[in-house]
Amino acid sequence: MGQGVHVQELPGMGKRYDIELGRSDQRISVVVRAGGMRDLYVFDDRSSEPAAVIELSDEEARKVGAVLSSTYFEG
Amino acid sequence: MHADLVGLGLAVLVAGLVARLARRVGLPSVPCYMLVGILLGPGTPGPAVIAHPEDLGLLAALGLVLLLFHLGVEFPLEQVLGGGRRLFIAAGCYIGLNVGAGFLFGLALGWGGAEALVVAGALGVSSSAIVTKLLVELHRLTNAETPVILGIIVIEDLFLAFYLALLSPVLSDADSPLALVGEVAVSFGFLALLFAVARFGARAVAWLVGDREDELLIVLTVGLAVLVAGVSEEVGVSDAIGALMIGLVISRTRLKERLERLVLPLRDVLATVFFVAFGLSIEVGEMGAVVVPVLIAVLVTLVGNVAAGIVAARLFGFNQRGAANIGLTVLGRGEFSLILATLALGAGLDARIGPFVALYVLVLAVVSPVLAARSHRLARVMPDRLLRANWTYVREETISTSCTHLDRIRVTGTDTAVCEECVRLGTPWVQLRLCVTCGHVACCDDSPHRHARVHAEAAGHPIIQSAQPGEDWRFCFVDDTLVRAPMGSPRG
Repeated sequence: MGQGVHVQELPGMGKRYDIELGRSDQRISVVVRAGGMRDLYVFDDRSSEPAAVIELSDEEARKVGAVLSSTYFEG
Repeated sequence: MHADLVGLGLAVLVAGLVARLARRVGLPSVPCYMLVGILLGPGTPGPAVIAHPEDLGLLAALGLVLLLFHLGVEFPLEQVLGGGRRLFIAAGCYIGLNVGAGFLFGLALGWGGAEALVVAGALGVSSSAIVTKLLVELHRLTNAETPVILGIIVIEDLFLAFYLALLSPVLSDADSPLALVGEVAVSFGFLALLFAVARFGARAVAWLVGDREDELLIVLTVGLAVLVAGVSEEVGVSDAIGALMIGLVISRTRLKERLERLVLPLRDVLATVFFVAFGLSIEVGEMGAVVVPVLIAVLVTLVGNVAAGIVAARLFGFNQRGAANIGLTVLGRGEFSLILATLALGAGLDARIGPFVALYVLVLAVVSPVLAARSHRLARVMPDRLLRANWTYVREETISTSCTHLDRIRVTGTDTAVCEECVRLGTPWVQLRLCVTCGHVACCDDSPHRHARVHAEAAGHPIIQSAQPGEDWRFCFVDDTLVRAPMGSPRG
């Protein structure tokens, strides 16, 4: 895995990926559950409670991922 | 005997509908299935949808087998073994405190020794399903204590295998101590045999049931799982443990992922039948007599859980919020308590165990999500000295970091303004880092000699803090991650 991504095992549940954005006020964690569900945690400012938590199915996660990585083409 | 399809269909449908309603308000589903069984059964006034619960016997047994088989298949053995010694100590404390307290409570009930062992297990082993769902719903998957919570419940599953092996000979009604010892030996011998199969025979098992087609794979596997469970029952070890162990064997093969997926829907349906069938066997009238013991048991569990949460938090260096979250999240009881109660009733132990465990699971089903969501209130009143004596904590702050070395933080400030090694060598440095374990100050990774990293590796002190004025970030060399909490600082 690339630099700035920290992987943490969640026994029996899946894996947690902490993505360092290189700034102190925002960060993102993604939990990939064994069943394929993803939980996207977004943190902002210095609070430890997530500002947003989004649950994505396997398919939804692919869609978001494709848009984020610019591999999604319209039409 | 002719099973009543109308009754079965109605019971499962109603169970599903009630569980769906309960999910809306954040309540777990397992106790709902059982509750529907109680309400629709012959032991409750009103129409009995299923008049003869024994008709469901075989289906319920299949549900129990699949429940434990799937538990074995998805068991993350490597992750647990790689979890480290501290995790085992934390889980050991949790199990010891809760099963121990449960056993003493069981003895105090005066129902008998074997009954006390069953009560100990029913009170001591938490429900993986309920705990996992709670963590997802309360948005706590990224909390620092979550890997510890998950580790504890997984180790509990492993403990369950041994506990069942210990329990089945006790339940078999041996007439002399010698016969009992013999049966315990047979039981553990069988366990060892299956462990050996898991270790050395996984390939052979994979060859036997493995097939490219999902249809054949699931048919062969369920056949094998039920056969092993049945044989276990025949040799005097419970079917539950046979199913769990053959699941563990499968988890060692390349079929693991496919079978996890294939068995799941089958398990969900038949486990529901198992929970409904357990409910059917409960006479609602008998619950009145066990209300007081159940309330005491809930209290015992609560105290045991919070104590275990504090122990785990001390071990891992979490704050009050972490301690409270561990204690109040692992509180849920469900499938395992019902399995143990079923085994006890099947062995003809004191019939009060049925209504006792049913009511206990129901009460905790409502209490545990409510308490877990309000863990910050417990954190607020938890004194610092229960955790690390020399720390002050931001008690209610959620710790959200994946570093597991927070317990190594002892020093958080320094007056030293030079890297002494660099001064001695006459070399320059860029920035300074403070070792938070011993207070050693040295130069950063951008400096030529990287003395802070050298010190961390030589001394085994994982975490550094920036010693630059105005900076307070910390970094863990071992976990290679920024450390965000706890926001506490030493007193004085």
